Amino acid sequence: MKKYVVQEKSRGVLLFAFNTDAVNYVKIAERSAQLAKSTLGLPITLVTDSHIINSIFDRVIQVDNFLLNYKPGQANYVWRNGDRYRAYELSPYDETILIDSDYLILDDSILKLFEQDFDYRIMTHNQTPDNDWNETMGIFGLQYQWATVILFKKTKKSKMLFDLAGRIQRNYGYYINLYHIRGSQFRNDYAFTISNNILNGYNQEMTMGIPWKMLTFANGINSLTIKDKIVTIKESNRAYLIPKQNIHVMDKNYLLTDNFENFVRTVCG
Amino acid sequence: MSDLENITNQIRLATDYQVNKRILREKIQTDLQIPHNGGLFKVSIELISFLNSWDQDELFLEDLYQNPIKIDRKELLNKCREHYQMVMNTWHVQHEEIRRARKV
Repeated sequence: MKKYVVQEKSRGVLLFAFNTDAVNYVKIAERSAQLAKSTLGLPITLVTDSHIINSIFDRVIQVDNFLLNYKPGQANYVWRNGDRYRAYELSPYDETILIDSDYLILDDSILKLFEQDFDYRIMTHNQTPDNDWNETMGIFGLQYQWATVILFKKTKKSKMLFDLAGRIQRNYGYYINLYHIRGSQFRNDYAFTISNNILNGYNQEMTMGIPWKMLTFANGINSLTIKDKIVTIKESNRAYLIPKQNIHVMDKNYLLTDNFENFVRTVCG
Repeated sequence: MSDLENITNQIRLATDYQVNKRILREKIQTDLQIPHNGGLFKVSIELISFLNSWDQDELFLEDLYQNPIKIDRKELLNKCREHYQMVMNTWHVQHEEIRRARKV
């Protein structure tokens, strides 16, 4: 009788990082990758246009990226967030955890989602330490999706989500007008929200979201320390004590400090 | 330090405790979610009570993604009880830690 070998599905974390003159995103991604690897025990792939040798990453995929975004009123503040839609095509894994480099993985809650049958899951709910984040975008009240965290399996529907996000990036002006969304800078959150909405037949009841809230620190951070599974986060005039959990830290300058490097070293042992 | 500064600091500490408490509770809500038989369930006292009182051993339960999931009642009940106990203990321990910090 012929024996069949069932191939185990590959799973890993995918990060994108494109340096600018002001921010070394690759360095942030390296630190984020260390945390993800230590916490989840999964291989990490980086997509970048930088030339990298001897890094923490298991795999580095080099691509070109030409999209530039400027912060209104600050012509020298640039970020390069385009081409995230290529994650489906570039991911070497059957099951991918796609995260922003400023999303710090400190617990393994994400893994329990892979025990379900799904095409993709997107972070839907967000909160700051003080409040829940606005849940909708645009004047039609489109349910916000955060491209900060997307889990996907290599399925036809996932491919459509990413292909459609690419189409939205290429025709961004048209889509933000169609959905009455303010701001001309390209945002992956908007592209994936619109893509998800179209893909699900404009039905907001479809539940593709991750069923918990992401915790975001949007202000400047002075330090992060950890003791006995409690993380202390100090801002300029406040401090938070939070249980060890995944956090979204928007202060890129802090993520490049020695203090954060020490935090990563402490967490990773 | 003036009286007003003292009061302001005390209010800030009290407020920060409430914020920390809220964040901890949200994390516990996440931790209470468990995967089972291809579904995702949030362990609650209602779910435990329901599983405890149902008189059939096999049934379908709606999960967090609104899918009917076939379950073995006793198996899920045991899993829920153990998980609930573990998460509640963690909550208690961590809550004590943030309460202590309030007094610093």
